[in-house]
This record gives sequence, C-alpha cells and structure tokens, in this order.
Amino acid sequence: MFWGAILWMVVWGVIGSIAIRRRYLHRDLDTSNANIVGAFVGAGTGPVGVLFLWLRTPVLTVHYIALPAIITMGVFMFVFATSDPNNICVTNGTFVASQVVNGLVIGIIYGFMALGLTLIFSILGIVSFAHGEFYMIGGMLVYYITVVWFPGLNPVLGVLGACIITFSLGAAFERAFLTPMYDGRVARPVEYGILVTFGLAFTLQYFVQAVAGANPVKARRFLDFPRLRLPSDDDPWLLKSSRGSLELFESVTISSPRLTAAVTCILVLIALLYFLHRTWTGKALRAVSLDRDAAAIAGINPDRMNMLAFALGGMIAAMAGALLVQAFSWLPQVGAIPAMRSFVIVVLGGLGSLPGAFIGGIFVGLVEAAGTGCVPDPQKAASYIPAYGMLVLTLTLLLRPTGLLGRRFSSATHGQN
Amino acid sequence: MKKFGLFASACAFAMAVSAGGVNAADCVHKIGGIAPLSAPGTVVGGEAMRDAMLIAEKDINAAGGVLGCDVKIVIADSEGLPEKAKAIMEKLITQDGVVAVGGGYHSSVGVAAKDVANARKIPTVFAETWNDTITGDKQKYIFRIAPLSSWASATIWRYALTIDSVKKVAILTENTDYGIPAAKETTKGLEGGGKEVVTFSVDIGTQDYAGIIQRIKASKPDMIITLATGEAGYNFTQQAADAGIGPLDVVFVTGQVSLESKAYWENVPDGNRAFVQRIGLPESGFSARGKAFAKVYKAKTGKKAVESYAMEAYDSVAILAQAINEAKSTDGDAIVKALESITYNGTLGKIFFPYGTGKDPSADGKPDSWWHQWPDVALTMIQYQKEGESSGNATIVYPDVYKTGEPIINK
Repeated sequence: MFWGAILWMVVWGVIGSIAIRRRYLHRDLDTSNANIVGAFVGAGTGPVGVLFLWLRTPVLTVHYIALPAIITMGVFMFVFATSDPNNICVTNGTFVASQVVNGLVIGIIYGFMALGLTLIFSILGIVSFAHGEFYMIGGMLVYYITVVWFPGLNPVLGVLGACIITFSLGAAFERAFLTPMYDGRVARPVEYGILVTFGLAFTLQYFVQAVAGANPVKARRFLDFPRLRLPSDDDPWLLKSSRGSLELFESVTISSPRLTAAVTCILVLIALLYFLHRTWTGKALRAVSLDRDAAAIAGINPDRMNMLAFALGGMIAAMAGALLVQAFSWLPQVGAIPAMRSFVIVVLGGLGSLPGAFIGGIFVGLVEAAGTGCVPDPQKAASYIPAYGMLVLTLTLLLRPTGLLGRRFSSATHGQN
Repeated sequence: MKKFGLFASACAFAMAVSAGGVNAADCVHKIGGIAPLSAPGTVVGGEAMRDAMLIAEKDINAAGGVLGCDVKIVIADSEGLPEKAKAIMEKLITQDGVVAVGGGYHSSVGVAAKDVANARKIPTVFAETWNDTITGDKQKYIFRIAPLSSWASATIWRYALTIDSVKKVAILTENTDYGIPAAKETTKGLEGGGKEVVTFSVDIGTQDYAGIIQRIKASKPDMIITLATGEAGYNFTQQAADAGIGPLDVVFVTGQVSLESKAYWENVPDGNRAFVQRIGLPESGFSARGKAFAKVYKAKTGKKAVESYAMEAYDSVAILAQAINEAKSTDGDAIVKALESITYNGTLGKIFFPYGTGKDPSADGKPDSWWHQWPDVALTMIQYQKEGESSGNATIVYPDVYKTGEPIINK
C-alpha cells in the first residue's frame, strides 16, 4: 500500500509540475513557482488540485507553495502511519519528540555553517571549496588553544582565538589569491575561484595532518551541567540533568556540547543580523551583494567588502567547528561531510540567501532525523543519512532551482566591478 | 696532457663511485606495506601500522637484511577504500617492484587487494584484515596473521552469553566487508544463546550518531556492541554516554580503536567501564620479541600501550623477511613454500600456517577460511575500570585462561 501511494503521489507530482508550468507559459504568466506548486498540488491532492490550478491559474504566491507542501506532508505521514502502524515513529511520541529536537539542534548548527558559504557566494560570486577546512581549522584551534597550548583556558577564549585566527587567515588568503579575479588578470574567474579554493582546502588539510597528526582529538566539554532533578528527586519528570546531558519530560535528551553549540549559533546569528542590518559596514556588504556597481557609486569599496565577506564566511565555518570540537572526534579530514552538507543547504535555501541558508539547515537536520528515526529497517536507517540530503538537493534542483529564498540572478559577477 | 690525465682520472673515479652506487641500489629487496593513511580509512590505525613496519625494516636490516641485501618497506596508502587498494597493489608490484606485501587494516582493502596479489604471484601476509573470505578463497599467495572475523565475533558473543543480566543486545555496525559479516556472526551466536538482537548499521565515516542513538535507546538494550573501525568508535561511545546509554549505563563493547588509551580518554571522557576486544596477549605476556618491539614502539610514538594492529603489521613484514631468507630466493612460489613450513617467533608469539597447498583445511574438518591462516591468535576482552587507565593495564575479563579480574557489570 505504501509504495502504491508513493507511486500515485510521484506520478501526479510529475504531471502537476509539467502541466501547470505549460499552462502558465501558455497563458503568458509568471512560471517561476509553477513547477514546485504543480508538483506539491499534484502529489498532495491528485487530479483534483491539478485541475483546479489548470482552470484558475492564480498568481502563485508563497501561500500556494506552503499550503500544498503541508498537505503533501500530511498525506505522506498518513500513508506512512497507515501502512506501518507499528513503526516507532507512529507508536512512540516521546521518540518522535526527541528526534525532532535532535533534528532542530543539529539543523541550527548546519544552517549556521552554511551561512558562511552563502555569504561568500552572495558577495564574491564563488563557491568556496575550502569551507570544510575552515570548519576543521576552527575545531583544531580550539583544541590546541584550550588543551595543548593553554590547558585549562576558558573555552570561550579558545573560540574567540579560533575566530580571530581564521578571520585573519581568510582575509590574507582573499588578498593574496582572490584579487586576480576582480581586475581581469584571470580569463575565467569562476574556474579560478574554484581551483584556488580547492588548493587552499588541500593545503590546509595536509598542513594540519603534518602538524597535528592523524589521531582524533577532542576538546573538553565547554559546560558541565549541575546535577538537577525537577520537580523532585523521586519523580524528576520535568528535568533531569547529569554532567554531559539533560533530559526533559523523561523523553528528550540533549547533550551539553550540542546545546551550547546550538545556543551560541543562534546568538551569533542574531549578532550577525544586527551587524548586517544596523551597521554601515553590514549595510555596505548587503548593498554589494545586491548591486556591486551601484554600491561602488555610493562610495562603497567592493574589494574591501570581498575581503570582509571571505574572512567572515570562513570565520563562521570555523566557529561552527570550534563549537562542535567538544561533541565530535576531530581529524584533519573532518570537514569533508559538513562541507558537502553545506552545499546542499545553500542550494536548498537559495544561493546567496542568508535566511534561506539557516532555514535550509534546519530543514536538512529535520529530514535527516526523520529518515534516521523512521526508516523501518534499522540496518538501513542511518546508512542512508548522506542520501537524505542528496534527495533534498535533487528535488530542489528539479522543482525550484533558485532554492527556497534564492534570487533568480546573483548580481555578484564573480567579484568584478 | 697532464690536464687530460687528471680529467680521465676524475672520470674514472666518478664512474667507479656511480657503479658502486648502482650495485648498492641493486641490493635492496622491497616489501610493500599497506596501511590506511588518509580518510575515510582509519588513519590512527594506519599510522600505527606504518610506524611498526618501519621499525621492522630497521630490525630486519640490523639483523643482516634478506639474502645479504637491505630490505626497504614501501608504504602505500589504501585510504581504507577497495578501489584504492587494487590500484596500490598494482603499483607496488608493477612500479615499485616489491617481492612481497605485508600490512592491511580494513577488510574491504584485503578483499579487493588479494586478487591482484594472487594474480601477480606476489606473496601477501595480511596483518589486520578480518573478513573470512580473504583466506577462505584459498588463494595460493595469500596468508593472514589476523584473526578471522568469525573468531573475533565469537569472542564478543561468547562473552555476552556469560552475562546473565543481558537479555537484549543492540549492535552498531559499519556497512563494510568487516562490519556486515561480523554483525551477522555476532547476531547468530547471540540468538543461538537465547538473546534478543537488533542491528543498526551506519556508513563508515559517520560522525553524528544522535538519531540512531535515540533509536537504540528506544529499543531498551541491556548491552551495546560496537563493530565500527576508527574514530567512529569514539564518536558513538561518547554520544551514547551523553544520551544515557554509555559504558557507565549498560554493558558496552566499544570499537577496537579504543585500545589507543590516550586518544580514547581524550575522546571518550565518559568511557569508563567500556569493554574492548583485544588481539594478542596482555603486555605482561608478550614474547621477548614483543617486549623489545613494545619498548622501541613506545619510544618512537610516545604511546602508553602497543596496539595489536601495530604488532600484527610488524610481524606481517618480518615473517616475509624470514620466509625470503629461508627460501633463499625472492621468487613468489619459493616464498609461499617457505611460509607454509615456517615457524616464526614474532611479537604476537609463534606464528605458523598449518593449512595450505600441502594440507587442505578439510583434512582436519576445518572450513576453507583456515587456509594460510595463523590459528593461534589470542583473543581477549578487556574492561577499562579506572578513568585514564592504559589498555595495557586494563582488566582482562575473558576468556578465563587470560583473566586478570572480574568485570564490573552495570545493572
């Protein structure tokens, strides 16, 4: 029954996507959302919804994406629950709650890391292939600062140190290697940007391997929770905490490293939004991302903004690593998977869109948590984690190549004035 | 004329020196050494094996080399990937001109590389590749000193059967040539003993186990067994501890990488009471060669304990050197003949291969996997019982013959 229903949804999704786009083209209407709306309406409501759209051809606002998407999700969940009533995601509410919280927490961190990548793209117009290595360097620096060089140092100072060093590294690299893209010294700036950041990635990875070795390292937990039992020691149904984790409502467990990382990411995001929207430099960055030439006429130096964006983007990735080195074992190759995930997230959120990257991160985190928790065969559930992200990427490229909140055209023409 | 004479003398001297150089270069026999030195392979294991094989090179040359020549170990990085394993085996044989190959960590690497070595008639002694089919295919040039996967699994499940309080076991396995058969063997053994088993598999290189840990937690196991190589063992164990199902909460068998105690305690600060499977005897029971190796290895690496895979890597190369000397030839067939009748006193003990072309395993009712397989591998279960403890000093809890203390079982 499950696969039959999925086939029905896929078939009507494809029909809806193709038919609605053709209909809107035929009527000379805006087709930018036709594919995705057609697909969701087809998958969620079948021929009824597709026929409605075909006849009415309304203006496809964001509501026309959100509502059919929710309906499609609801239909999918109903079919899933009906066909596999003993699945743990159907029978165990506390398990679902814990998976949702896990997905949210890790999604916030994913989104934060992707933020750096999309910031670089929105200003310089290049995809930094060294993003994973900045993430790795951030973690390594915190380890070295707080464990090797200054044992016992407050981890906040370690994170700050990592941010300063990686910001400087990003700025120096941009000045030394990316400026040829701006003044026509290289004929193919896009390819040059890819190659030079690839080069940086390899250099950083093997430099760290040569210096730090290949043994996994880890910083100590930034925060040990006090022992709490609420409301009482005998029945701690509300909150129970140990050194490394806390349990809410006897169901949701959050580890200290993840919680501190997620909360810090949110705080830094708020600070970043303030910087971008309330300070002159932040507004200048946004202006350059919207229109470089107009920004230059207004007295903004786009080259300086390029440097700032690359340094800031690298620093954001490094900060994500700096916060997670207390949660994961750290190796010189640790950045590869998070970097790939960041690419998926920025495509999903929309290349160059900061809110899109954050929302995309949370979405990918939730999809991964749902897949890991609900795929019936436990031998396959976690093996498919990389596939969940790729599925999201494929669907996004098929239905809405500009991503959730992406602009159709980026004004950043590879850093050139 | 005088100038010409000087020039001629200089030329003659230079030619003599270079000729001497050519002779010295000719008198080096190369042995390949496979190890994972890049991700997604277990780099920590690969580096240990590389260090051990280079110590073996030094020891062999100090003892006179092979056939009167020096030995050079050509280290090749497998990255833990089967396709890379095939490529580096081809390269070692065709470009580097090795006469034999040792090392090897990941089973998938052994499974892929063995066919190339056998087709090229290059004797290969695998050090740490456990998959049963590596010797089970009965290939003439393939030997192994690591345990069979089925033996290693049996140590774990037999130990689990001794713990009465364990009714339900969760297995976390990597989906590789090592993990999948090991999980099947372990499940079979546990179910045969009346235990309920649920298996979860993950990709090699997975970092974040939060989702799967919640699922394991929901299945309420009394025991968790980790069949994953590399830092996956650290990540999974600590994240399980954070979720309240770690070594201090349930009976927890962590990955073999945890034998590297310093890294273990740094990466798994809440990992006390974890059980680890160990290949080889405890340090107090090491052979004379084992003790000598341990001293040099610790001084070279700064580690507190010697990992079993480092000892296996050392022996895989040293046994080949001895076989070449006994064969008095670098011919592949002659080396195989020497290996089949060898008695080598290595770091792991007395190594020999009772079954091969001379005697098929079936003659003694043994399965094909015993072909060219060292049968006396010591397999133990140890338990960390003090925070910061070295794996060399940890309590051996199974089997009884090696037992040094009672296990602490979490209720």
